[in-house]
Amino acid sequence: MKVLAANVEEVFREAAARWTLVAYAALSTLFIALFAAAVNLDVVDGALAGAKLFGKQLEMGPRSVDLDKLVLGFESGFSGFLYVVATFLAVFATAHLVPRLQEKGTIDLYLSRPVGRVPLLLSRYVGGLLLAGLNVVYLVGAMGLLIWWKTGVVHPRFFLGGAIILFTIATLMAFAFLVGVVTSSTAVSIMATFAVFFLAAILSGHRQIEAALATEWAAALVRGFYWVLPKTGQLAQATVDFVSGGQLSRHKVEIDYLAVFGTTGLFGLVSLALSALFFRRKDF
Amino acid sequence: MTAVLSAEGLSKTFRTPFSRRQVRALDGLDLQVAAGEVFGLLGPNGAGKTTTVKILLGLTHPTSGRAELFGLPVSDPGSRRRVGYLPEGHRFPGYLTARQTLSVFGRMSGVSDSDLKARIPELLARVRLSDWGDVKVKRFSKGMTQRLGLASALVHRPDLLLLDEPTDGVDPVGRREIRDLLREEAARGTAVLLNSHLLSEIEATCDRVAVLRKGKAVAAGRIADLTAQGFAYRFVGAPMDEALLGLFRESGAAAERVNGHVKLTARDAAHLNALVDAARARGVLVTELTPLRSTLEDVFVDLVRAGETDEAGGTVITPPEEGRPR
Repeated sequence: MKVLAANVEEVFREAAARWTLVAYAALSTLFIALFAAAVNLDVVDGALAGAKLFGKQLEMGPRSVDLDKLVLGFESGFSGFLYVVATFLAVFATAHLVPRLQEKGTIDLYLSRPVGRVPLLLSRYVGGLLLAGLNVVYLVGAMGLLIWWKTGVVHPRFFLGGAIILFTIATLMAFAFLVGVVTSSTAVSIMATFAVFFLAAILSGHRQIEAALATEWAAALVRGFYWVLPKTGQLAQATVDFVSGGQLSRHKVEIDYLAVFGTTGLFGLVSLALSALFFRRKDF
Repeated sequence: MTAVLSAEGLSKTFRTPFSRRQVRALDGLDLQVAAGEVFGLLGPNGAGKTTTVKILLGLTHPTSGRAELFGLPVSDPGSRRRVGYLPEGHRFPGYLTARQTLSVFGRMSGVSDSDLKARIPELLARVRLSDWGDVKVKRFSKGMTQRLGLASALVHRPDLLLLDEPTDGVDPVGRREIRDLLREEAARGTAVLLNSHLLSEIEATCDRVAVLRKGKAVAAGRIADLTAQGFAYRFVGAPMDEALLGLFRESGAAAERVNGHVKLTARDAAHLNALVDAARARGVLVTELTPLRSTLEDVFVDLVRAGETDEAGGTVITPPEEGRPR
């Protein structure tokens, strides 16, 4: 426990010293400030009388607008946006944790202590996840409070949607750790993780891709990749659906939640287990 | 005498990925270091010194053989509970202050916060960094970083210190202080394994040494034994005429004048005594009889150069016998 605390503290200290924490908070604040400045709602007696987006008056039409539904629309749209922003920021902010640890002259200082390699690696992982988690809480929390301040309406589901974002971050961070252990390179970790993120998002349309392929083995390969990789596309959709309570989906596509969360979680667990295994076996 | 560190048949072969190239860094090394002993590991670059230390600390896995610290296999992290390590070219996180560095690594070694409160100022004073406790490590000079490294290795009061080039970048006064500190630690029962290129430093600090070459120990023992030149002595007395030297030679001794004294080489102690008696009987007033020694550097260079012809198995290195003077 002492080791875990020392390592988590060090992750935060390092993030603060290397301006990662500042950049992390600054970028998140920028998104929040942009939202605060861009959206101006005129609510009179609980009803929406007018709305401006980036200073431009929105045409409300003759029909009265249901404020609750409008806020839900905002929250769901923003949760999808936050899903991408928070995940990207988290990968950038934590991808260095393993490569820096493995640097010559640094790793010796850590491994010469009476600490097992796996607990050392996992404590860095927990530190990184806490750092990313705090940012998700900040982003989602601040955005929710802003919505509440501007409209007087907010839905608890919007805050809970942060959990799906954190789940995705945890999975991708595990993969970044695996690449970091193997290559000792921050740049390669970031590139590989984003490659997985985008490839997996593209593969969420695997059925259409498979149908367009000429050979069965190519289709099987695509299907294989789809099942192995985390379901980043469906998870984004799941975040939006969860926040909206399934009320606002224009294209109702059934998501097999168990398969999406199960295979993504498995990908994360296997990545973390492999990184622990390789880290344990590595010669420094 | 209980060995706090022991290795048996330690071997390590590094394989290059996607290649058949193999480098045998260690080849059947046996090693034992006892409590309170300062042991020096010598050898040219690539001899296997750092690999040995890294295996002992679990940083590198041996290909074969076994190593134990305090009776625990080195694969067990618990074996490092009483070990302090100063690696060569270490890099403390530059954003930490000296005090924070000792706190982070102290806690990782299991030291409680309350113990650290008292221990950190004491250690900073011991390595002359009291005025630098709240300065970030990135502002430290090489020598200061090295002294902080030593403090970090000592933070949990270890019973075994593994030091890789501990005086690297340290000024002569600082070196002397580090040497004194190591002797103090040894006096309180701490075993020290010192890995250094500075032979004069090893000579001034260590009780025993092992010379590694191509992963094998080619010589090991007390420095006095390794540097002794058999029964060769510096003999000074008066009068020392040619007749006396002739008498020495007739008895089978080698005798030659060197810079105002005689270099006298006897067969054994009895022969030496007989030579002294013969000189005294001729009225010679003996004023000096000192054993001649090589420097450790001479021994080291000879071993490394001559070692090419001696490729047979590793040498067993054991601690000195109980009660034997160091």
